[in-house]
Amino acid sequence: MENNKKEFFLVRWIRRLIFPQKELDIYTEEQMQSPMRLVVKNYFSKPMSVISLIVFIIIALFVFIAPHFVYLDLGEQDSTLVNIAPGYNMLKYPKALEQNGVQDISVGNNYSIGVDKEGHVYVWGKSKVTKIIDLSKLPNDVQKADIVGVAAGADHALAYDKRGTIYAWGSDRLNQCTLPKELQQNNLSHTMKIAKIAASNQFSGVMTEDGRFFVWGNSNFVDFSYNAEEYDGHVVDFALTNNSFVLLLDDGRVVRGGEHASTTVQKVPEAAEKGVVALASTTNSVAALKDDGSIVMWGAYTKNENKIPKFSSKVVKLVGGRYHYTALLEDGTVVGWGDNKYKQTTVPEKLQGAEITALYAGSFQNYAVTADGNVTTWGLKGFPLGTDNLGRNVYSRLVNGGKMTMTIGALSVVIEIIIGVILGGIAGYFGGVVDMVVMRIAEVVSSMPFIPFAMILSAVMGTKVSIEQRMYIIMVILGILSWPGLCRLVRAQMFSQREMEYVVAAKALGVKESKIIFSHIIPNVMSVCLVTITLAFGTAMLTESTLSYLGFGVPLPTPTWGNMLTNANNSIIIQNYWWNWVFVGTIFGVACICINLIGDGLRDALDPKTSGR
Amino acid sequence: MKKYLAKRVVYLIIVFLVVSLMMFFVYNLIPSDPALVQLEPLRKALKPDEWQRQYLALRAQLGLDDPLIVRYARWMGFTKDIDGTFNGIFQGNFGYSLGYKRDVIDIIGAPMLNTTILNLLSTIITLMITIPLGIYCAVHAHSKADSGIQAATVVGYSLPTYLVGILFIYLFAVLIPAFPTGGAKTPGSTYVGLHEFADRMYYMALPIIVLVFTGLAGMTRTVRAAMLDTLSQDYIRTARAKGLREKVVIYSHAWRNALLPVSTSIMGWMIAVFTGGSLVIEQTFALNGTGKLYWIGLTTTDYELVLAMQMFYTLVSLIGVLLTDISYTLVDPRVRIDK
Repeated sequence: MENNKKEFFLVRWIRRLIFPQKELDIYTEEQMQSPMRLVVKNYFSKPMSVISLIVFIIIALFVFIAPHFVYLDLGEQDSTLVNIAPGYNMLKYPKALEQNGVQDISVGNNYSIGVDKEGHVYVWGKSKVTKIIDLSKLPNDVQKADIVGVAAGADHALAYDKRGTIYAWGSDRLNQCTLPKELQQNNLSHTMKIAKIAASNQFSGVMTEDGRFFVWGNSNFVDFSYNAEEYDGHVVDFALTNNSFVLLLDDGRVVRGGEHASTTVQKVPEAAEKGVVALASTTNSVAALKDDGSIVMWGAYTKNENKIPKFSSKVVKLVGGRYHYTALLEDGTVVGWGDNKYKQTTVPEKLQGAEITALYAGSFQNYAVTADGNVTTWGLKGFPLGTDNLGRNVYSRLVNGGKMTMTIGALSVVIEIIIGVILGGIAGYFGGVVDMVVMRIAEVVSSMPFIPFAMILSAVMGTKVSIEQRMYIIMVILGILSWPGLCRLVRAQMFSQREMEYVVAAKALGVKESKIIFSHIIPNVMSVCLVTITLAFGTAMLTESTLSYLGFGVPLPTPTWGNMLTNANNSIIIQNYWWNWVFVGTIFGVACICINLIGDGLRDALDPKTSGR
Repeated sequence: MKKYLAKRVVYLIIVFLVVSLMMFFVYNLIPSDPALVQLEPLRKALKPDEWQRQYLALRAQLGLDDPLIVRYARWMGFTKDIDGTFNGIFQGNFGYSLGYKRDVIDIIGAPMLNTTILNLLSTIITLMITIPLGIYCAVHAHSKADSGIQAATVVGYSLPTYLVGILFIYLFAVLIPAFPTGGAKTPGSTYVGLHEFADRMYYMALPIIVLVFTGLAGMTRTVRAAMLDTLSQDYIRTARAKGLREKVVIYSHAWRNALLPVSTSIMGWMIAVFTGGSLVIEQTFALNGTGKLYWIGLTTTDYELVLAMQMFYTLVSLIGVLLTDISYTLVDPRVRIDK
């Protein structure tokens, strides 16, 4: 015992916890061991309690540390990233594609299509559009045909073979897969050769080698009219944005598609009326590459697409994704700009100095093919726990929501402790009228139906405040409504403690009554209250999440585990998008179970009956 | 006993008045102006000063300018209303729902029936399972079966009701489509008599199962703890030493005494389920019950309805307290003699 005193107390504790002292016989133990140590020993002798404590600490650390690394974007929302299943396979192209040599790659919403030099088509990523439509289920004729080019749209895909036959599959709800008559005839007669195909959200475009252009799909969404008489036969390139298209003619002039609609994309600037050699587009903007290597851009910029960096040499190839552009320069470097949320403009270093033969981009993904046939990818790989019905990352919401739920639970318990201990201490110490009054108040509060009352308080107080203030209001409401239980316990303990010798001694010494209550008695009572406090923490978390679930807790978009599960109150989501509720439900359930097991373990450890004496 | 009960009833009435006063004050924190709402359509038609005059007149007529306490007394039916009659809660006037455009008393009936059926059935089933199970666990304490049941109950009462609801919808309505995912009856059905009852039960089955499941854990633990406590008493040892049969010891010596704490927590649990639990379950299963009505009232800021529902909830929980008191007098002879 002597040498122990030199050690730092934490080291001593840990050493004692890990290497138990030699067994003492029952009488020496009574004398030698402090009651607290006995409690700790009792607690740690139960594997269930230890496991639950460890698991809970892991969860708590996770939700308090991880938010520093997992950024939560409250305004996060993207209609193309809705309800994506968990997994990192968006950039996982099949090895066979690389081995046979890449002929063409096209990127759609969360999936990509590739075709190799032998004409085999591959689909990877999240290709399931609905329960029935899966774009990776290729039609038989596509599997048989000698495909040379592919195009991936939002929920449909296109491919064409050497002879000029165009195949379309996927959702045909808005006629995305219904080819115009002339192309249908061409599928049989093969008079025209296809030069380029592209698919966008709900519509597609095709350009033939003799300069003709065809566009089809949802005509309510996109204006398909264009000056066909003048342009047909002269089209050399085209670009599709989310809801419009532009054409590049053989005289280097860019012309608008859609005679009647007026999107920002259709206002072609003067600079793009001559000398343009190629077009690229994002969801709402178009970039034209001119013959001098400069770039002209127009349209709507949402994520810094117009912030073109300085190039070290001429741009030779330009491709666009949803909110970003990627350019290949004459000296072989690849440059990306625009939205970099998913690292889609951060070009991997191993591409430096490599000879790039082809560059593909779309959505949030990029593919580069080097001269030796290797494919390099960068951009959005996928979401670890999927996305919810607004395209928000479930993982980041889970982490940050956990922090919110645990903080609210902890702080409301603190409020509960403050009120309960003070009132219970006063009532128990003084007794008589004070006790009567406090207990009647406690009875009134506990006879109020908890959830409905919390709901109305939240509705009344939380209407004209910020989200942060509302959070504090929720904590206060939970604390104010749940103190009576703790108050009763403290009061009962005070009754037995106030007759003890040490209280009498303190009184005799003339210690102030408030000091006797709060610094002499309360510390002795706290160990008994520990069980109630632990369980109260679990209850507070449950209540907060129930309130949030009902829509009266922390409001969206701030995530908590409760309001994340509100989403799941829908049989379609329960059925098809299980990741919306399974992960949150599991971690929340495990956390609550652990807290209750810790409480039970503490109760057993504190109960002298359980130690067998 | 009569004196004790009378004392409790008087006390509960006081609590009811205090809670209703608090509710009324909370309700009046909401910035709403019925006079403004009524006169808003006329704002364009009238001249500003004429409109202002009418507005003030209407405010006076509706009694909005009177002190809160006077309005409270009117609302409760203690004093005469503006029109000179006693017309408050005590006279059966629970207010007028702006959302439904009907008296609250008229719209509250059907949901109340649903909620009551739901809660009564689930309570009865829960008690029928938990009491024997809890006694069994206490008698065979620390056995393997007991430890298993204890572990299961921790899981049961740690999970929030709505999560269990979602899980059960997934398991029993989606994976195994045995039950409907929500609703109170087959849409568009015009069943009568027994058929209607069967249809209603079919739709209520899954909510009841969820309520029973979430109730099982807590109640089993309560029964077990109370039984363990009494089984460790000296008189149980005496009874066993006398050579009484184990059944007699458990059911007439121990269980009667264990009932006292159990009855309190049964009541507490029933109140919590009737108010909070049914709110969640009706929301999850889209059932037309009081909880759903309350939720609709709150989300559509139909506060007169909310206030009436809140009073109803308070009444339910106070009646619960009263029933606990009565059950005390029935179970515990000491209460009958002493007070």
